[in-house]
Amino acid sequence: MPEKRILLKNCGIIDPRDINAYVAHDGFKAWEKARHALTPDEVVAEIDTSGLRGRGGAGFPCGLKWKLARQEAADEKFLICNADEGEVGAFKDRHLLQHDPFSLIEGIAIAAYAIGAQKAYIYLRAEYHYLSAGLKNAIDQTRQKGCLEELNITIQEGAGAYICGEESALMDSIEGKRGEARFRPPFPPSQGLWGKPTIINNVETLANIPPIILNGSQWFREIGTAQSKGTKLFSVSGDVAKPGVYELALGSPLKELVVDLAGAQDIKMVQVGGATGGIIPASMITTPLAYETVLGSGAVTVFDASREVLDFVYRTMEFLAEESCGKCTPCREGTEAMMEIIGRLTTGDGKQEDIQAIEDLSQTMMLSSLCGLGQAASIPVLDTLKYFRNDYENRIRQSVFLRSLRGQL
Amino acid sequence: MNTLQEQTLLSRREQASLLAKLKEAQKEFGYVPREFMAETARALGLPIGAVYGMTTFYSFLSTRPLGKYVIRICKSIPCCMQNAAMIIDSVAAEIGITPGQNTADGRFSFELTNCIGACDMAPAMLLNDELHGHLSPGKIAEILKACK
Amino acid sequence: MSDVKVRIDGREVTAHEGMTILEAARLVDIEIPTLCHSPDLIPSGNCRVCVVEIEGARTLAGACHTPAADGMVIQTRSPKVLTSRRATVELLMAGHTGECVTDVHTDQCDLRKLADHLEGGAPRFLMRKPRWYPIEEANPYVRRDMSKCILCRKCIGACQEIAKKNVYGIAYRGFASKVVVDFDDPLTTEVCRDCGICIDYCPTGALSKPAKRGGVQ
Repeated sequence: MPEKRILLKNCGIIDPRDINAYVAHDGFKAWEKARHALTPDEVVAEIDTSGLRGRGGAGFPCGLKWKLARQEAADEKFLICNADEGEVGAFKDRHLLQHDPFSLIEGIAIAAYAIGAQKAYIYLRAEYHYLSAGLKNAIDQTRQKGCLEELNITIQEGAGAYICGEESALMDSIEGKRGEARFRPPFPPSQGLWGKPTIINNVETLANIPPIILNGSQWFREIGTAQSKGTKLFSVSGDVAKPGVYELALGSPLKELVVDLAGAQDIKMVQVGGATGGIIPASMITTPLAYETVLGSGAVTVFDASREVLDFVYRTMEFLAEESCGKCTPCREGTEAMMEIIGRLTTGDGKQEDIQAIEDLSQTMMLSSLCGLGQAASIPVLDTLKYFRNDYENRIRQSVFLRSLRGQL
Repeated sequence: MNTLQEQTLLSRREQASLLAKLKEAQKEFGYVPREFMAETARALGLPIGAVYGMTTFYSFLSTRPLGKYVIRICKSIPCCMQNAAMIIDSVAAEIGITPGQNTADGRFSFELTNCIGACDMAPAMLLNDELHGHLSPGKIAEILKACK
Repeated sequence: MSDVKVRIDGREVTAHEGMTILEAARLVDIEIPTLCHSPDLIPSGNCRVCVVEIEGARTLAGACHTPAADGMVIQTRSPKVLTSRRATVELLMAGHTGECVTDVHTDQCDLRKLADHLEGGAPRFLMRKPRWYPIEEANPYVRRDMSKCILCRKCIGACQEIAKKNVYGIAYRGFASKVVVDFDDPLTTEVCRDCGICIDYCPTGALSKPAKRGGVQ
């Protein structure tokens, strides 16, 4: 299966600064259709039927989320576009924002109409400040075109915090607070921003809305697998000849993406989904990319045979420890305790008990952390332990040997 | 939700401007000065500690003055794999400071940062708000020379 | 208000709608340990000690903030719960520096009591650099020993919600997070005069009445 360009169809083809170029490529036709031919409930139903799931990583059914917010009676509802793409190895939202901002604005307009939001925020990470002028231009041109009459869109920029990509922390950040995770329930569709019904959708999720409305949910359902409909953007980097953004039908084998398209050779393992993503060893390279198997945000990092597993684990855990918001115990203390162990392993000071301690700690972080960061923080550790246990055990054996040389056994 | 929670939520609407205010200060002064935090806390009816807490939470806000040009080299895995360490060394050699420091003339601050979403152009960095990718020691010298 | 029926540790409990699992459990004298929770304060849910297992849920839930919903089947002492709770308490213990054993305030430490109660074996986790902060005794009403702080944030809540004083904030992030006064300054009489209500809410003795001037210990 070659690339299937639905989300990328305008990227590099049209001028992202000019709404007329977008309109000439079917731009705002979906918006016209939604506005004039469909009721908000029908739009929600169409998205629900399409089977579209969140593209930010968690994969929650988009239509269900909208339905929950739609049915809430409230004087005010909010739509938030999550453009805080902080996941390590992820840059597909950057690509969309850069090359096709109008598709996002159209998606936002339709989503706001469907759930009944009068105000929308685009939460843009500080690292992407250079994209905000282009995005603002797209909003302004769309407004001048008369397509945003009932919706106020604000670009809200972050200030450097990975955790603000987590939806509850993101809302706290918009409210002018530290971006800390909130406990749930209540869930955002019933009580989100300032306690009002709020929908938070990733950039790519919203960019999927116009083609679904325009072509119909049945068209969308024909692409992908049973639980994973449509196409997905993947940002591929690491040991590949052609790093970049690729679009494939969900369910496509990982091999097609990293070998056939990106030109990887001599693969040791692939991390799919960013810092907290799962590890696929070379022996499982034909694993389909789907919610049923492995997907996350679509960040794909390829490691060739020359790479050390423990170096990777150390850097990943360092990232998570630095980016933990610090609110809940298992994540705040757990990532730190994990760094202590993995740090010792990398410097050749491992102990026999270390693997057991890692497993115990992982279990608690997964079960008890307040949000996805802490819950998923140990996935790369557990996965590498599963597929590359030898790398850990060898390190420990070497450590014991080194200590005996130093007479410190 | 109980009434107390409801009240807290409502009273905080105006707090939404806090992050933007702190970012403006950062841009104007090169850091967020104490007087600014104290004043902002007063204006919003927040404890100073809460405003200080905001400033110290976000990594693009600083409580110590930063240079005119802030260099942020990405140290996350995709950049590491493309030899970010060499870029870090060449920046250090070029301006004579290590990460976490400012040059004495106040021109540069040198920071390491987590993933900036430019892994397809690794190794990459942000120079203030500007993205630079496919870095090499030669390119670093060129870019930094252009910083007046 | 309508009633909800839940099953906690095998017992049928009829709770009021809006009650948390913790409150529902207390109706039938099932005790779930807590550190960051107080019935007087808005729940924060940060300590994760009160976690319970809800049938069908992917992760454990905080009992102090999760509403009891009709039909919920809850375990407060399942192996998963106990393992996780013990590790969480162990992590909090590992984050300290100090002389918990000899210190006069040790008997006030709910964390230590909980750790003893959970009977953790040999410590499994260490921190690269456990927290250590100098003791602050400048204020005649509140003595702060932040090395003992477990970041439960009850002092912040009590000061804000009960005393309406807003003295404390939380600063930094991750493991470096700290409850601070102003710009991480020592607590002086300038900012905090007399109420000392935060002391009553501190579970570890990080906040205490100064021995000399504070009267009864």
